[in-house]
Amino acid sequence: MSKIIEVKHLIKKFPMIKNQRAFKEMVVNLHRFSPKKNNEHFIALNSINFSVEKGECLGIIGKNGAGKSTLLSLLLGTSYPTEGELKVYGKRTPLLELGAGFHPDLTGRENIVLNGVLLGLTKKEVLARQEEIIQFSEISEFIDMPVRTYSAGMYMRLAFSVAICTDPEILLIDEILAVGDESFQKKSQGALIPLIKSGVTTVFVSHNLEEVKKICNRALWLDHGNIMAEGSAPEVISQYLHKINQ
Amino acid sequence: MFKLNRSLQRKFDLLYLLTYKEITLKYKRTVLGIFWSLLNPIFSALVFMVAFKIFMRFKIENYTFFLLSALFPWNWFLSSITISARSLVDNVTLIKKVIFPRQYLIISVILAQLVHLFFSMPILFVFSLYSNHGISFLAWGIGIPLIILIQFVFTFGVSLIISISNTFYRDIEYLIAVLINLAFWMTPITYPMSSIPEKFRSLFLLNPLTSIMSVWRGLLFENKILWDYLFIALGIAIALLTLGTMIFKKMEKRLDEVL
Repeated sequence: MSKIIEVKHLIKKFPMIKNQRAFKEMVVNLHRFSPKKNNEHFIALNSINFSVEKGECLGIIGKNGAGKSTLLSLLLGTSYPTEGELKVYGKRTPLLELGAGFHPDLTGRENIVLNGVLLGLTKKEVLARQEEIIQFSEISEFIDMPVRTYSAGMYMRLAFSVAICTDPEILLIDEILAVGDESFQKKSQGALIPLIKSGVTTVFVSHNLEEVKKICNRALWLDHGNIMAEGSAPEVISQYLHKINQ
Repeated sequence: MFKLNRSLQRKFDLLYLLTYKEITLKYKRTVLGIFWSLLNPIFSALVFMVAFKIFMRFKIENYTFFLLSALFPWNWFLSSITISARSLVDNVTLIKKVIFPRQYLIISVILAQLVHLFFSMPILFVFSLYSNHGISFLAWGIGIPLIILIQFVFTFGVSLIISISNTFYRDIEYLIAVLINLAFWMTPITYPMSSIPEKFRSLFLLNPLTSIMSVWRGLLFENKILWDYLFIALGIAIALLTLGTMIFKKMEKRLDEVL
C-alpha cells in the first residue's frame, strides 16, 4: 500500500502575540527600547511523526488545544510547517468550516460552482453534477436566491452537499460527520460514512470517541503537541480514557 | 477550440469565477450596476476638466482628450491597488479554510478593474476617431494590448507587495492612501511631460507610472508607440513582479499566523 500522508519531525510554532504595540506606546516606552526580537513562541506541534496509508481512516483525539486543528490545517495546506516535512499526495477536501468559500451575496447555484472549483473540479465538471448536488441538499426551491437569505441549516446542507459530490480523494474532517436536522443528519452520515469505508483516505478529528471507534481503523492521541499514543482506534481510546479518568 | 489540460482548465475556471464574482458583487445592490464603472471615471474627469480647463485655463490642445487618455488608465491602477490592498485581509475565511493560489485573489481584482477600463475605452476610441490623427491599427491593435499587458504586470507586482504587507501591518493601506495621491500628482496625468523642468525630467522617469502613462498618451494622442518608454515600463514591470512574487511567496507561509 502506498502512503498518502507522510509527516516527519513536524514542528509548528506560533509567535506569541501579545497586543501588538501601537506607535504611541512605542514612543512612551522608547527609553526601555531594546532591539531584541520577540522570540517567544507557542509550540503547537512538537516534532511529530506519522503516516497514513491509502484508504485508511485515521482518527485524531485529544483535549482542546492539543494541536488537532493545527495539524488539520497543515495537512490541508492553509498553514505551513515551521520545521520538518509534510507530504500529502492527492486532492484534499476539507470538511472543517462548512461554507467557508461561500459568498453571502451569490446565489446557491453560483456558490455551488465557485466552491466546486475551489474544491478541485473544473467548472464543466461542477455543472455536470449541479443537479445531483441540489437534489442532495434538498433546497431546490431556494437555489437561485442569495445564500445570505438561507437559514444556518440550509447553508450547511448546501456546503456539505458540494463537498461530498466533488469526488474527494483525501477527506479532512473536523467534527463534522452530519449536518442539519435529524433526517438530514441521517442522510449526510449515510453518504459520508460509506465514502470513508469505500477507501477514501480520511483524517478525522473528533471529541466523539464513539464515532472515532466506529469509523476509524487507526487513531492518534495528541496532547500539547506531542503524540501520546498511536495504534488501533479502540486501544488508543482506552489509553486516553484511562489517562483522563485518573 | 483547443483543449486545455485539466489542471490548467481548473486554474482558468477559478480565475474566471473569482473575477466574475469581483465584478458582479461590486454593484450587486445598486440600481445603475456596472454603469458606475463608466460614471465613476467620467465624474472624476469632469472635476479635473472644470479645475484645469475652465479655472486654470491650461493651454493644451484638446485638453479633455489629453486628460482622459491618461486618467482612465490611471483609474485602473488606482482602483486595483486600493482594492487589492484589502483583498487578503478581507478574505480571511477563504484563506484559512480553502486551498487555492492566494495570488488569484489579487489577479481577479486587477482583471475586474480592467473590465471597468474596457467600459471606458469606447470614449477614448471616439475621441481618437475625431482627433487629427484618426485611428491606426498599430496603436489600437498592437500598442494598446501591449501597454495593458505591461500595466497589468506592473500593477500585479505592486499589489502583491502591498496586499501581503497589509496582512502584517494594517498601517500599509493608510500609507497607500496617502502615497497614491502623491503618485497621482507626481505622474504626468493632468499636465504634460513638457511642463516638467528639464533638470527634473530624468527624476520623473524613475516613477514607472510616468513611462506607462506616456505610452498611453503617445498611443491615443499621436498614434505612435513610444518604444523607449515602453521598454522602460516593461523592464520595471518585470522587475517589480519578480520582487513581488518573491516577497509574497516568502510571507505567504506565515499568513496563518497573522490572519
